[in-house]
Amino acid sequence: MNLSHSLWIWIGTFLTFCIFSFLYKDNPLYKFAEHLFVGVSVGYSISISYHNVLYPDLIVPLFKQGQLLNIIPLLFGLCYFARFIPQVSWLIRLPMGLVLGFGAGAAIPATLQASVIKQIQGAILTPNIFQRIDLFAWALISFIGLICVVIYFFFSKERVKSTRLAAEGGIIFLMVGFGASFGYTVMARISLIIGRFQFLLRDWLGIIR
Amino acid sequence: MRFFQALGKIDRKIIFIILAIVIIIPLLKPFGLISRASSRAEAVFNAVDAIPAGKPLMISIDFDPGSMPELYPMLTAILRHAMAKDVKVILLGLWLTGMGLGEQALTTVSREYNKVYGQDYVFLGWKSGVLPVVLGMGEDIRKAYPADYYGTPLESLPMMANIKNYRDIPFFISLSAGTPGYESWIAYAQSRYGLKIGAGVTAVSAADAYPYLQTGQLTGMLGGMKGASEYEFLVKQKGYTQQFSPASQAMDSQSLAHLLILILIVIGNVGYFFTRKVTRREEK
Repeated sequence: MNLSHSLWIWIGTFLTFCIFSFLYKDNPLYKFAEHLFVGVSVGYSISISYHNVLYPDLIVPLFKQGQLLNIIPLLFGLCYFARFIPQVSWLIRLPMGLVLGFGAGAAIPATLQASVIKQIQGAILTPNIFQRIDLFAWALISFIGLICVVIYFFFSKERVKSTRLAAEGGIIFLMVGFGASFGYTVMARISLIIGRFQFLLRDWLGIIR
Repeated sequence: MRFFQALGKIDRKIIFIILAIVIIIPLLKPFGLISRASSRAEAVFNAVDAIPAGKPLMISIDFDPGSMPELYPMLTAILRHAMAKDVKVILLGLWLTGMGLGEQALTTVSREYNKVYGQDYVFLGWKSGVLPVVLGMGEDIRKAYPADYYGTPLESLPMMANIKNYRDIPFFISLSAGTPGYESWIAYAQSRYGLKIGAGVTAVSAADAYPYLQTGQLTGMLGGMKGASEYEFLVKQKGYTQQFSPASQAMDSQSLAHLLILILIVIGNVGYFFTRKVTRREEK
């Protein structure tokens, strides 16, 4: 055993045990660690935001280089705080409108292209589809799955025998999808706890390499 | 029958203790289960391997310490691969709280390979707003990042002299724990500027990334800690590093824990079905 001499490792260990204590039941130590985490995250975020964005992109150009056009984004940004003053709270609509308009304008065509059109193409025309028989078979199964699932989510018309069969097939494909997601979720959660145990056993206790 | 009823009512604290034991034992005494890289991990590895020396690899840290056990080993393994091959590295991120991790990984790995800041690697850091950053870099990286994380103007960094926009980036990797992440890069950087993208994702979001892999929008994918261990395996196998591999070390624990979860699912279901059978009989 090679116990750590670093104060920060000991603090990390203490906070890890505080969080683990929730597995027994909710308690003040857990609450302390939880609140500390939130506070540190916010403090860190404010600091990085100031040093990486606010200072170099607004304060320096506006107040040190005299680029007066930067007063426009400053005023728009300040409008966010208008919601705290009821008489002028409507001013918040200006930056919100700008952000929503720009966001929607840029996001809608890009998302359509990347997540709808490309995905429809990819439902059957996958790269190298005709190079190997197994790739072709999987592409076909994937395409059948897509059709079945789409039929399952079509509620506007009563199902006849053929569409009922396809919808039931769609449930199987959905369950396979949910199963894969669940399996990956288990792996994710186990990974997090392994990460903590690696920290405790290696960084704190020094009993593993 | 009581036995089967008890199976469905095991105290969760007992399960936690068994799980902890199952995870700790392989960490202390590794079984050495054989690792193998998937075609998805190999695709990411080959894309990084194909970058000519002197050309840049761009990596985006789209995660925070909450996903560190899964994505940080990917970051260090990719950095080791790139630096061992003399590939330049540009690191940035869409998640503010991941910047400390990025800086830590760059500092650690650059020391191993004696790389110099500004000549071999650059840390751009974080800027607010996803759209202006991702779209802006497509025109000119300096528009989104006039200066690096430390406030140094990009003009004064020798490495950035010949790098203007995405056209000068042969390959890009997003290490993504959610939104914004690889989907934002696909939507704005790839579909608009044709950036070649690979992704390292948390296991929770791995299933959602497969459709992008199938369409070729993602060149390759590293899924969760397993993906990280696959990349570590490839980097070690090709002799680029012999450093400690945290994800590979965790794989024995991961496998055993999965086995335990499977057994618990079976036990829970057996208990449930027997209990249901008894309840129904009693109702009749």
